Amino acid sequence: MKQSKLTMTGKYILLGLGALLILSPLYITIITPFKTPMENSVSFFSFPRTLYLDNFKTILSSPRYYQALLNTIYVTVFTLIGSVLVMPMMSYAISRSMHTHRFYRFVYYFILMGIFIPFQVKMMPLAKLMSSLRLLSPTGLILLAIGSAACESTFLYVGYFSSIPKDIEEAAYIDGASTRKTFSAIILPLITPMISTIMIKDGLWMWNDFMMPLIVLNRTWRYWTLTLFQYNFKTEYTTDYGLSFATLVLSILPIMIFYTFMQKKIISGLTSGAVKT
Amino acid sequence: MKTRKTIENVRSLGNKKISSRSLTFFLFTIPGLGLYTLFSVVPILMGFYYSLTNWNGYSRSYDFIWFRNFRTILGDDRFYKALSFNFRYSFFLVIGLISLSVAIALLLNSKLKHISFFRAIYFFPAVLSMLTVGLIFNQVYYRVLPPLGSLLGIQFFQQSLLSRTSTAIFGVLFVHLWQGLALPTVLVLAGLQTVPTELYEAAEIDGISAVQKFFLITFPFLIPVLSVVLVLALKSGIMVFDYIMSMTSGGPGGSTESLALLIYRHGFAEDRFSYSIAEAILAGIIISLISAIQISASNRRRIEL
Repeated sequence: MKQSKLTMTGKYILLGLGALLILSPLYITIITPFKTPMENSVSFFSFPRTLYLDNFKTILSSPRYYQALLNTIYVTVFTLIGSVLVMPMMSYAISRSMHTHRFYRFVYYFILMGIFIPFQVKMMPLAKLMSSLRLLSPTGLILLAIGSAACESTFLYVGYFSSIPKDIEEAAYIDGASTRKTFSAIILPLITPMISTIMIKDGLWMWNDFMMPLIVLNRTWRYWTLTLFQYNFKTEYTTDYGLSFATLVLSILPIMIFYTFMQKKIISGLTSGAVKT
Repeated sequence: MKTRKTIENVRSLGNKKISSRSLTFFLFTIPGLGLYTLFSVVPILMGFYYSLTNWNGYSRSYDFIWFRNFRTILGDDRFYKALSFNFRYSFFLVIGLISLSVAIALLLNSKLKHISFFRAIYFFPAVLSMLTVGLIFNQVYYRVLPPLGSLLGIQFFQQSLLSRTSTAIFGVLFVHLWQGLALPTVLVLAGLQTVPTELYEAAEIDGISAVQKFFLITFPFLIPVLSVVLVLALKSGIMVFDYIMSMTSGGPGGSTESLALLIYRHGFAEDRFSYSIAEAILAGIIISLISAIQISASNRRRIEL
């Protein structure tokens, strides 16, 4: 298809305007905390003339940011590890048995049912359940997250397993390998693409989630994740926008770096999670 | 004689193997099933139980009042107000997400230089947390837009959009679109790749206009993707929480109080624990109905390729 010069410039202008609309709030977020209140009162858009670092010094001098960062890393990493340990093996058992065993067919639909139920329905009872199990802690959040991500991961893994031919594992089986051995040595390496997709999806979800931490971890700042840190910061220092933007910059930074290097993987991870719904 | 024995041996060995295989499978299933049951199914069952009581969440005793919570909700103006907010919000969100994601995807699908650079920018909002985006725009609305508005003489921006009852919903919607468009756009972009190029070539020979080309050729192929986008948009519209918490907290004057926020407030701040669960169950039923309708509709309409 040939395009005229005119339509091409038109497309560039539209795309440019959209990009401007996306980038300008981010530009303001990054630029504002580096400027003195004086500079900001003149213009929000001007580039900082000197590097003003007081806002960042204030935040980085208290232990709260580091604690929140550590908690977020802890929660995200161990949710991913737990989920990779638990979900593929369950899905494997389901996918290889659901056509012959009624039990696994039941388990499969029992887990899929969860997709229809929004988080809010279980939010309040969950708060009670977690406190009576003494799980109002980052570790509790990890267990909760693995259990909550089960529906989507099972759906995606079982779908992926059913596309893998059974010949290979049957050969291994005849050669005397145990089911456990077959799974870890032959099946797991075959599903690494799906594992990385789900890890990206769940990783971003855990890193960015606000609702579950709000219910499980909002008792002491020692348990805060980055989202709770930002939220509680908002309610404490509403007036100081220099500080507010500085906390936002510090919270965005890790994900921005991650995005620059993993862009393609992230896009495919997030979209493959969405199509299934 | 010997052969029979070997066959029996093999058979019993096979049985042993089969039973050890099914034992392994059972053990494989236990941890995942256990975590799911404990953290997803048990709270829902607890919720059904508590919704039939008048428990406030912390007192030692409570009574069974059966369905009185649900009956109270059906006569509760605040619930209807939140519901109507969510319906209006979802309506605009669905229209905005579908039309704009198709428009942006068509633009991003064109063969231009630096197009992958633009794609990277347009997708970036999807990786940020909704809370962070809400907080950024909260600041932008309160501090950046008013001076800009008075500088350019635009009355509309001189006061924060979020501080007026009539415009707060659109302030939140804009932010939701700003971030929420990224994912649907990529989905539609993927859907555009399913359109066979021969059809476009044939259309070009027939001299069809660009508008006709879109509605007669492109659009039918996008229907499966768009039905997914529709459900995602409806779900995020009906359950919107993070943006409201970070931008308006339900205000001004309760004009942006969504169902999720109402449930949260009743449950945690206003000592109406069992009542909030009953509200959550009603909201859950609405969402499940929407999902079920969508799934059956998209099964019927699936395009044969």
